[in-house]
Amino acid sequence: MSVFNIAVIIAALMLIFIGLFMLVRTNNLIRVIIAIEVVMKAITLLLIFAGYMNGQMALAQSFVITMIVVEVVVAVVAAGVALSIYRRNNDTDIRKLNKLNG
Amino acid sequence: MSASMYLIYSFLGLPLIIVLALTLAAKKPADRLCIYAGYLAAIVQMIAAAAIFAALLAAGVESLTFSQFWDMSVSDSAAYLSLDAFSLVAIFCVGLVSLVSLITAQSTMGEKKLNFTNVLMMLMLGMNGIAMAADLFTLYVFLEVTGITSFVLIAIFHDIRGLEGSFKYLVMSAIASAFILAGLAFLFMEFGGLGFDTVAAAIGAWQEAANPTLLIVAFVLLASGFLIKSGIAPFHGWLPDAYQSAPDAVSVVLGGIVTKMAGTYALIRLLSELLTDIAPLTQACVILALGSILFGAVAAVRQSDFKRILAYSSISQIGYILLGAVCASPLGYIGAILHFFNHATFKTTLFVNAAAVHEQTGTTDIEELGGLQKQMPVTGVTSVIAFLSTAGIPPLAGFWSKLIIIIAAWQALGAFAGALALFASIFTAAYFLRLQSKVFFGLLREGLEEVREAVLGLKIAEILLTAITVGFGIAFPLALRFMQAQGWL
Repeated sequence: MSVFNIAVIIAALMLIFIGLFMLVRTNNLIRVIIAIEVVMKAITLLLIFAGYMNGQMALAQSFVITMIVVEVVVAVVAAGVALSIYRRNNDTDIRKLNKLNG
Repeated sequence: MSASMYLIYSFLGLPLIIVLALTLAAKKPADRLCIYAGYLAAIVQMIAAAAIFAALLAAGVESLTFSQFWDMSVSDSAAYLSLDAFSLVAIFCVGLVSLVSLITAQSTMGEKKLNFTNVLMMLMLGMNGIAMAADLFTLYVFLEVTGITSFVLIAIFHDIRGLEGSFKYLVMSAIASAFILAGLAFLFMEFGGLGFDTVAAAIGAWQEAANPTLLIVAFVLLASGFLIKSGIAPFHGWLPDAYQSAPDAVSVVLGGIVTKMAGTYALIRLLSELLTDIAPLTQACVILALGSILFGAVAAVRQSDFKRILAYSSISQIGYILLGAVCASPLGYIGAILHFFNHATFKTTLFVNAAAVHEQTGTTDIEELGGLQKQMPVTGVTSVIAFLSTAGIPPLAGFWSKLIIIIAAWQALGAFAGALALFASIFTAAYFLRLQSKVFFGLLREGLEEVREAVLGLKIAEILLTAITVGFGIAFPLALRFMQAQGWL
C-alpha cells in the first residue's frame, strides 16, 4: 500500500471515530444529526476507496450516489423530528427526552 | 415460467401505484377510500405470495431470480431480485400484518388515515424489497426505506412521546446502517462485488484470503448492524421505547413485522447464505440469542405498560428465531422460519388487543386496568390464546415452532443451550400471566364499568389471527409431513 492509500484509510477511520465520539458526548439534538452525517461521510469515503482499490470505480460511484440520496432522506426525516421536538419542548437537549421509561 | 410469475412485480409495483393514485386523487375521495386501497394491496399481496409459492412447488424450483418487467432473464451486471420459499413466507406475513394494521387504523387513526396509508404502503414496499433482495447493497437501500417510513409512522401524531421514540429509533438505526455500510465497503474492497452469490463464493475460502482480518472486521460490523436492527439483547435500547410510543396501528405493524424483517430476516439470510461456516461469528450469535431470550423474558416481568411488556417479549421471541437460525441445520432453519410466521401472528394479535384496550379505556398502563374479561370477552379470549401460543402450549402454533427450535438447539449446540431455551419458556408464562391477571382477570376496577367490547373491525382482526394460530397449530402435523415430502427437513 502506498502512503496515499494509508492516508485515506486513516482519514476515514478518524472521521468515523470523530463522528461516534461526538454522538456519545453531545447532548444536543442537532449535533446528534451532524454526528451521524459525519459518520456517513466517512463511510462514503470508504466505499469510494474500496472501488479504487479493486478497480471498480463505476460500481463504487453508483453505490455512493445511491447512498447519498438515501442518506439525505434520513437527514431530512431526522431534522424534521428534531424540529418537532424543539417545538414541543422549547429545548434541543436530549436529556429532556425522558418521557418513556420502564 | 407460468403467467402467475408476473405477480412478482405486484410486490413492488402495487404499493407504489396506490401511493401515486392516493396522492394524485382529490382529497375527499382519497380520504374515504385510502384504507380500502390499502386492504386491496395487502390482500393481493397475500394471494400473490400464495400463488407464487404454489407455482414454485409445481415447477419444482427452489428459487426464482428476476429483473426487469420486459425481460425476466438476468444479465450478470444488472441489479436483480430473487425469491424463494422463505421470502414468500415473509412477504405473506407482511401482507397479513399490514392488513391487520390497516383494520386497526380504521378506528384509531382519525384524520391521519390518508397519511398513514401512504406511508404504510411505502413501508410494505421496503419490506417486500428486503425479502427479495439478492445483493447486499439492494438490501441496504430497502432497509433504509423500511427504517425511514417507520420513523415517520411512529411520529405521525407529532406528540412528544412519539417523537422521542422515533428519534431514539432513528439514531440507533442510523448507527446500525453505518455499521452495515462499513461492512459492505470492506467486503466490496475484498471481493469486488456485493451479490449474495459473489460474496458467498468468495467467502468459502476466507481464511486463505489476502486480508482475513479485514473480512472478520467486515463480518462483525455487518452482524452487529443487523443485531441492532433486530433488537437482540445488548442492542435493544430503542425497541421498547419505539413500540410503546408508537400509535396503536403503528405498533401493530412495528411489533408484528418491521423489526423482524429489517433485522432478523436480513440476519438469517446473511447467516444462511453467506456466513455458513464462520464458527466464531456463529458462536457469538448463539450467546447473544440465548442472552436475549433470558433478558427479554426477565425484563418483561417488571414492566407496567401493556405495549412495553409485548416489546420485551418480542426481544425474547426474536432470540428464539435467531437461535434456530444459528443452529446451521435444516431443522433449525425451518424452526426459525416457522417461529417467524407464528411470532408475526401471535404478536400481532397481542398488539391488536393492546390497541383495543387502549381505544376503549384510554390507557395501556396495566396498573390502572383490571377485570376487563366480562366487558371485552373477544379481546380477553384472543389474548389468552395468543399468550398460550407465545408460551408454547400445545396444540397451538407457537408450541411446534418452539419445539423444533429447542430440538435443533439441543442437537447442534448441546444440552445446555436447549435446556436454557426451555427454561426461559417458563418466564414467558410468568410475565404473560401477570399481564393477563392485571388486565383481564379478577374484579372489575372502579371507573371501568362503562368499557365496552372493541369495535367490529378490531374484533374481526383478533378472530382472524387467532383462527390462524389455532388452525396452524392443529394442522401442523400435516405441514410437517408436507415439508418432509418436499425434502426440506
